[in-house]
Amino acid sequence: MSALDEVQAHAATLAGLAGMTPVRLAKVLDGFDPVVAFHAVRSGTHPGDPRRRFRTPARDSDPGEVGRRYERAGVAVLLRDRSGYPSRLIGDPGAPAVLFGLGDPCILEGHPRVAIVGTRSATPYGRQVASELAAELSAHGVTVVSGLAMGIDAAAHAGVVLGGGESAAPPVAVVGTGLDVIYPATNRDLWEQVARRGAVLAESPLGTQARPGVFPARNRIIAALSDIVVVVESHLRGGSLYTAEAAARRSIPVCAVPGSVRSPSSAGTNSLLVDGCTPVRDATDVLVALGLSYAGSSDQHGLPVGRGSSRQGHCREDVGQTPSQRAVLAAVEFQPTALETILLRTDLSIAEVATACDELVESGSLVSGPGWWAQV
Amino acid sequence: MIAAIPSAVLIGVDGAPVSVEVHVSNGLPGFTVVGLPDAAVRESRDRVRAALLSSGLTWPLRRVTVNLAPSGVRKGGAGLDLPIAIGVLVASGALDSEAVRGLAFVGELGLDGSLRGVPGTVVLAEALSGHDLVVPTESAIEAVLAGHAEARLSSTLRGLVDRLEGRRRWNHAEDGATSDRCGGLAGIGSTTSSVPDGRDSTVDLADIRGQALSKRALAVAATGGHHLLVVGPPGSGKTMLANCLPGLLPDLDRDTALEVTRVHSVAGVPLPPGGLIERPPFRSPHHGASPVAMIGGGTVWLRPGEISLSHGGVLFLDEMGEFSTLVLDALRQPLEDGEVRVSRARGATTFPARFILVGAMNPCPCGEGGPPGSCRCTPAARERYGRRLSGPLLDRFDIAVRVDHPGFDELLRPSPAETSEAVAARVELARQRAVARGVPVNARLPGATLGQAAPLSKAAHALVERKLRSGALSARGLHRVHRLARTIADLDGVGEVIEADQVHEALVLRCRRDILLEGANR
Repeated sequence: MSALDEVQAHAATLAGLAGMTPVRLAKVLDGFDPVVAFHAVRSGTHPGDPRRRFRTPARDSDPGEVGRRYERAGVAVLLRDRSGYPSRLIGDPGAPAVLFGLGDPCILEGHPRVAIVGTRSATPYGRQVASELAAELSAHGVTVVSGLAMGIDAAAHAGVVLGGGESAAPPVAVVGTGLDVIYPATNRDLWEQVARRGAVLAESPLGTQARPGVFPARNRIIAALSDIVVVVESHLRGGSLYTAEAAARRSIPVCAVPGSVRSPSSAGTNSLLVDGCTPVRDATDVLVALGLSYAGSSDQHGLPVGRGSSRQGHCREDVGQTPSQRAVLAAVEFQPTALETILLRTDLSIAEVATACDELVESGSLVSGPGWWAQV
Repeated sequence: MIAAIPSAVLIGVDGAPVSVEVHVSNGLPGFTVVGLPDAAVRESRDRVRAALLSSGLTWPLRRVTVNLAPSGVRKGGAGLDLPIAIGVLVASGALDSEAVRGLAFVGELGLDGSLRGVPGTVVLAEALSGHDLVVPTESAIEAVLAGHAEARLSSTLRGLVDRLEGRRRWNHAEDGATSDRCGGLAGIGSTTSSVPDGRDSTVDLADIRGQALSKRALAVAATGGHHLLVVGPPGSGKTMLANCLPGLLPDLDRDTALEVTRVHSVAGVPLPPGGLIERPPFRSPHHGASPVAMIGGGTVWLRPGEISLSHGGVLFLDEMGEFSTLVLDALRQPLEDGEVRVSRARGATTFPARFILVGAMNPCPCGEGGPPGSCRCTPAARERYGRRLSGPLLDRFDIAVRVDHPGFDELLRPSPAETSEAVAARVELARQRAVARGVPVNARLPGATLGQAAPLSKAAHALVERKLRSGALSARGLHRVHRLARTIADLDGVGEVIEADQVHEALVLRCRRDILLEGANR
């Protein structure tokens, strides 16, 4: 990591002042060099800070120390009017004045970018679709952008990291917290892998904790960075609909993965489809929407992305299955299905259902949770 | 003149004999009570005086001193009214001391001279087993339960004095003709009454549509004495299910019935017409319950809490997540030991507290949650909600089931459901198998003896081993599954060796932490 220069250190210092928000930061840096702006704020003469709100915090902070802190953390400071800043964001009205990055922010250039977003309380179906989409898109040189949250976000990143293969396009994450605050903590491994293979971006300075408000704000950056936004699963008023809205405002196409009309976690995506968004069944649909030719061929038979892969469940061979296994498979949906429901549909005893489900989980046909099973 | 009248006071669930000594002497007229009386006893001065005057008896215009011996023990309750009144009569010469020889008295006085029963008469009467007992008519049943078949009854102080002086004939408890409540006395002592009272008020299993899994969990819980956690959205029938459980339990055995009756008597809970509580009690305290209300205690006399009132039966905690953590964590020790020791500065006592705990909880703050994706509560919010039950408390639950709103087809389809009576018969048979093994219920099988008490078949052993190796089962979970499988095998009558089927069923019924924290770790 190259050392921070004076300008970057001052910009990072300004971003980290107590009470600073992205909007105020944009005002303070509007038309000013960060070094000049910092000294003006410190002396209380900055026109963007007429109430001298930041005078005392600025006096208490030392740009040299802040710069060293960012260097130690290996965090790059990207300024809107300097090189390294994502070119896609430059003309955007809501673009942050300062972006912080882990990994290599330059990888944002040169690849088409698709955002894969969705609810945090995702079903196994949603998680699986997200990771398959992400794996196949990245294998086709598409950069997958997401938010490193739980549920769909994590599944999408995991799809790139685990399933994208060697030549996969690098993943990009835009997070709401500071880059030294891993939230949720359970995603630590994933976070580190994304930073190593791609980039993790944030507009919040180091040390910013998770709080309501930072996540919808980062959703606009995800939308602005992307060529297409794919919503995999969303509740009727889910946070991922903010991303879709931000994209729509920027005339960025929004696609949605259809789900069961009975599934609350697909209610948001299904209503996006009703509103006219493009439905997405698999990576091919996204690539078509991107207007890309893939693998140098438009030959339908040469589709390298397996339409069949996500449909395996429908035509799984029944050989070697016991009658109760077949009955259970017929009763279990792709949505999590409660044991009670399976009992009702099969007329088997609890022990029979439990045995069959256990065998089907072992053979990889079902996934299980406490008291429910779902088809894979 | 001095008189000493035997009586008794409550200490916890035990009675302690007290000698009421009354001294009447010349001096300035006055009435003092010494010997660590509490407020109710001190107030008895006024009740005793008024009752004597209302009954047409004379109050000595002399100095009256009452000592309650042994004087080091704090005495509470109004049951000392009657012995004080008799003592005053004897000491003042209004009543011949020969007339009360060998008699012990327990009872509260009304201002009009009527005699009233007091809470805990059963144990008070037990403490006075060496004496002929005189109690208010309404306490006849309690006296008989305590072994005082010949207890002498009266409903007024005037009547009592007449009988003591031989002007009227005694009514004995076993005559059964003196009080409405004695109508059921013939049934006392027989635990085989055909229509147990506890069953009338509970819901019948056959009334519940669908919910096959929850019903099965109830039967298993009733058989093995396993604590049960029910997780489900509001309106899914959690309360109704819990109400079914007492109906599945067999009648209390004689010793437990007596123990339960004593606790209820001490707490002042009205006893059933037969006197003896033969059906397992069902208690459902509101989630605002204080630790003292739950565990027992109190400042004046140590009163049993909800956990002791549900001894031998079912303690149902609805909306378990709303109970204060203080209350919930206080449950842990009694759940382990089957009794609770309540200690206060002025004394300590042990209450029995062996019950089946049924907890009901919503899956998440909004209540509608279920499997992942079914509600909008964030994983963090669900986790916070789930953490309201501490790990050690959740560990006490052997069974956890999720209930959901019944579907339309379940509501409409007439399902031939088993009645509570049929299930209860199977439960009773299965329980006998546990008794033959030397434990009252399987939940109390010690971990060390599981290997002998619940031998696994080859296939079952292989299954358990596979689950242990894959990390799906912990060492602690293994014991739980093993015990549950034993209970399931007993309930189904499959014999001593446990097959893979029962282990499979135990695996789905067992309580797992993630039933509450589902989605939180993803």
